[in-house]
Amino acid sequence: MAGTIVADTIQDGAGNSTSMDNAIYGSAKAWVNFNPSAGSVTLNASYNVSSVTYSGTGYYVVNFTNAFADNKYASAGAASPDSGGYTCVVGTNETNNAVYSAQTTTTCPVAAVRSYSNVLSNPYVVCVAFYR
Amino acid sequence: MQVILHTTQNGNVAVTVPTGELPINEVLAKDCPSGAIIVDDSTLPQGADSSFFDAWELSGSTVTVNFEKAKAIKLAQFNAKAVQEAQARQLNTLASIENAVSDADFTASLTAGRASIASATTTAELVAI
Repeated sequence: MAGTIVADTIQDGAGNSTSMDNAIYGSAKAWVNFNPSAGSVTLNASYNVSSVTYSGTGYYVVNFTNAFADNKYASAGAASPDSGGYTCVVGTNETNNAVYSAQTTTTCPVAAVRSYSNVLSNPYVVCVAFYR
Repeated sequence: MQVILHTTQNGNVAVTVPTGELPINEVLAKDCPSGAIIVDDSTLPQGADSSFFDAWELSGSTVTVNFEKAKAIKLAQFNAKAVQEAQARQLNTLASIENAVSDADFTASLTAGRASIASATTTAELVAI
């Protein structure tokens, strides 16, 4: 059944309330958790993500099921260490082999690098969430 | 499992894995460039060849490993490890020399250090590459 509830605030049984803006703009519009490995990714869970493209070691593209209204969304990511035990960090709008890719309304390039050397690497786990 | 392959701007292969939210044909049309193909992932290079992903090339519906690219990848891995190992041995040698208490001790430290650095590429870690 389709329907619409119009409200400025929401409140729980204990009287705690929050603006609907927090619910609308503060919740992730898409997120994904996957394990990259050479040549593929194993998808663990996702929301509003149609696919993940493995484009090279440490370089992935997240494709959204429903497009964002514009490309000004924010992302937050985390990564586990890689097989060498090195701490990895995740970034977006990355350059892969001198090919720069910017996020669009339908896709977001994601890269994982070793934090100490900035070398692209495959962590055991990559998690990214997108907000707008 | 079915995946989608296409060739990237830099000539490498990209593998797109659907989440299941959409049928794979919709993912093919929506997320992949023209010319992308659906294959079973069991047809992709397996085992050691999978570690040379950056040397994969797509020809028709077949992925092959470019030998020259694979060699370059292996060489880069070997060089990085060799430099790391040699640097560690160099530091050990410097420490031994600094702690030398006689000419004989100094000479022995230097000789041992030279031998250690020269054999850096024979460590088990490097031989395994």
